[in-house]
Amino acid sequence: MNRINQKLKETKKILSIYFSAGYPNLNDTIQIIQDLEKNGVDMIEIGLPFSDPLADGPTIQASSTQALNNGMTTQVLFDQLKDIRKTVSIPLVIMGYFNPMLQYGIENFCQKCAEIGIDGLIIPDLPVDVYADEYKTTFEKYGLKNIFLITPQTSVERINFIDSVSDGFIYMVSSASVTGSQTGFGSAQEEYFKRIADMNLKNPQVIGFGINNKETFNQATQYAKGAIIGSAFIQHLTENGTGKIEEFVQAIR
Amino acid sequence: MKKNTDNQDTSAPSHSGSPETLGGLGIKICGMKYPDNIIEVGTLLPDYMGFIFWEKSARYFDGVIPDLPKSIKKVGVFVNESIEVILAKAQKYNMQAIQLHGHESVEFCQELRDNLNSSIEIIKVFSVDDAFDFEVLKPFETVCDYFLFDTKGKLPGGNGTTFDWKVLEKYPSSKPFFLSGGIGIEEMEAVKEIAKTNLPLYAIDVNSKFEIEPGLKNIELCRNIRRDALQYVSTDNKIKNKIMSYNVNEKGYYGEFGGAFIPEMLYPNVEELRQNYLKITAEPEFQAEFDSLLKEYAGRPTPLYFAKRLSKEYNTKIYLKREDLCHTGAHKINNTIGQILLANRLGKKRIIAETGAGQHGVATATVCALMGLECIVYMGEIDIKRQAPNVARMKMLGAEVRPAMSGSKTLKDATNEAIRDWINNPVDTYYIIGSVVGPHPYPDMVARFQSVISKEIKEQLLEKEGRENPDYVIACVGGGSNAAGTYYHFLEDEDVKIIAVEAAGLGVNSGESAATSALGKVGVIHGSKTLLMQTTDGQITEPYSISAGLDYPGVGPMHANLFATKRAQFISITDDQAMQWGIKLSKMEGLIPAIESAHAFAVLDEMKFKPEDVVVINLSGRGDKDLSTYIDYFKL
Repeated sequence: MNRINQKLKETKKILSIYFSAGYPNLNDTIQIIQDLEKNGVDMIEIGLPFSDPLADGPTIQASSTQALNNGMTTQVLFDQLKDIRKTVSIPLVIMGYFNPMLQYGIENFCQKCAEIGIDGLIIPDLPVDVYADEYKTTFEKYGLKNIFLITPQTSVERINFIDSVSDGFIYMVSSASVTGSQTGFGSAQEEYFKRIADMNLKNPQVIGFGINNKETFNQATQYAKGAIIGSAFIQHLTENGTGKIEEFVQAIR
Repeated sequence: MKKNTDNQDTSAPSHSGSPETLGGLGIKICGMKYPDNIIEVGTLLPDYMGFIFWEKSARYFDGVIPDLPKSIKKVGVFVNESIEVILAKAQKYNMQAIQLHGHESVEFCQELRDNLNSSIEIIKVFSVDDAFDFEVLKPFETVCDYFLFDTKGKLPGGNGTTFDWKVLEKYPSSKPFFLSGGIGIEEMEAVKEIAKTNLPLYAIDVNSKFEIEPGLKNIELCRNIRRDALQYVSTDNKIKNKIMSYNVNEKGYYGEFGGAFIPEMLYPNVEELRQNYLKITAEPEFQAEFDSLLKEYAGRPTPLYFAKRLSKEYNTKIYLKREDLCHTGAHKINNTIGQILLANRLGKKRIIAETGAGQHGVATATVCALMGLECIVYMGEIDIKRQAPNVARMKMLGAEVRPAMSGSKTLKDATNEAIRDWINNPVDTYYIIGSVVGPHPYPDMVARFQSVISKEIKEQLLEKEGRENPDYVIACVGGGSNAAGTYYHFLEDEDVKIIAVEAAGLGVNSGESAATSALGKVGVIHGSKTLLMQTTDGQITEPYSISAGLDYPGVGPMHANLFATKRAQFISITDDQAMQWGIKLSKMEGLIPAIESAHAFAVLDEMKFKPEDVVVINLSGRGDKDLSTYIDYFKL
């Protein structure tokens, strides 16, 4: 069974962390992944940096730009991750934009992910209908789970379609925003969390965008299976380097 | 295309630079072997890619062919193979052409023809030396679509040597042919000479001279030859009787380009627009209001001016479509009027836009003032410094100009910031995109609003010349909105030749260029699958042109398709050529052009036109905004 499905079967709430590969330094990738797992993180989203990340706010864009300047490329990331499964067993997901994957070749990209032991992909600018028409077969051939986003504006009909195409989890964007632009959740968000929870979808939901501390993590996981922290962790890396990952994770859990 | 073997109109003389024969020389890249390399070469959009199914070849292919752009024809190359095997391979690999490289007989070709899907082309190879008897070709003419002439050598092909192309002078037929055998970059001058003659040279076939090792192509060399080949004339437009539409399909694609590659956060906004734009713009009240504003406010119709002195100098009939006379100084207002009316009907209260040089920003701020709507314009921090007068204009018009501080701090980043704003404000905000770029329906919507340009050209030409269609329409292309408007009503009229002019910057190979068709590869930018300038890793790169309106790293998907299908000929013009034309047009016709538009005029020096040709050039904008650039450049 895919590690994502397995992890989501556990009874506890999932803490997932996003970071941009190659940031703060090109070769920090492996150390960060290992430290996150050691400190009890349940799943990791490895950000493949892109020059024009439309769905991301300033924090993640700045880290992507820095990572690219450090020399990060698709091939470098794959090389870094080559032996990751010798030391890390939690689910690993690559999150990146479609163009770099297209240039690498979708089939090649998927094949490489499978070889390494990547469990899933999050590609914000690959729409679900294009995926279903053109790429689903290839992803499935390599055992990769493609994770789709929903937002408070997503219609019920579309949520049901996304649920039917997905086999892993649904990435719930907490509010209409790019990453890293929220401060706490209000009643509108709680209502949305509850509305989705009540739909009893086939796939569990993991909430992202705007989770930055224990409070927002608890709020989100009251309704959803888990939560994803991105910008706040990048911020932490910017301020502290890779040395204090333990502190960051413990403050959430 | 294969059904006209007995009546090919390929014997008409075609001279270098002759407008008779546009579209460039076809190119076949043969001997592909490795999947990564196949994908990479595929991004160059060669006309044909060859896979060799002869086991003794160093380039023997026995793998899986990755997905390739649909415009590329896959060719299976066989040497004295059985019909059964050929048919099986053709099916297995979804081949569009079969190349026979052995001693296959006329009867064999006929049998293959009878059994092969009729849409699959047959290319018969002949090895040529000085003693070659061209009469042997005659019986093959009816059983194959093309001949391919290779050098007679030890192996059936792949010898890497040329034959003396002078023997081709004896070619008695009008059957189009591929030229093969040791063609490298150095041979291109000689190829060009052949292309100038009456010979029906259809395409060149390249292989070993473009390799790092057998089967592994050198992408840069391939890119160069692809570019070169496009510059050369050939007969292929006459041969290729393609039946296709150059307009958008119901899914938002132009050929393989377009679509809506957007994050889910944008989906509701874009979907709302997609469901409504055709409906709303078709309403009689909408059209009446749009037409009225174009007329009363923007100053349409703009004149179609016969440029007398230019026509005399170039000995042809040159008309200028005077978009420079539109309110705000360029065609941009046609689109912003259309979109603001749409935004109004969708009940949006807040308007956002991106701008590079500031022209679209000014046109947006103008219509927002007209409608009394809040306006926020994103502009790269660097552009804000470079374009102070337009920043001041936008402020006077009541718009807020927000600097884009991310990435390269120019147009593409301003576009990213506008998209982010829209993600953050999905309900009350409308995003007015300034060009035929972005996710569907934007490219089509903007093209429709700009199509008034070609609609008027038709009406005006009928009055002036007694015919609606010119022989040529010429426009500059950055993202491509003025070009889309200029071509729109001529897209399906193949007797109208379409010329797209890109900014070469300091030169296409200088590293400082915005010639997307020459330098770009298929990818996704700002929600659209199109040609864009990027690194091999898929990171989008920063283009350069002296003209701020042309330095966008992509082109609209309509133009990418016009390029891929060769419906349009793409020409790139350097900064200096364009700047010289800024002066020339001013002095000759009393018209100071925007530097963007000046690029289009430089085509007059690159091509030859006949005295009776009617050539329409879109003068998309006036040059006031560029005065400081002209002053700096010429020390005026």
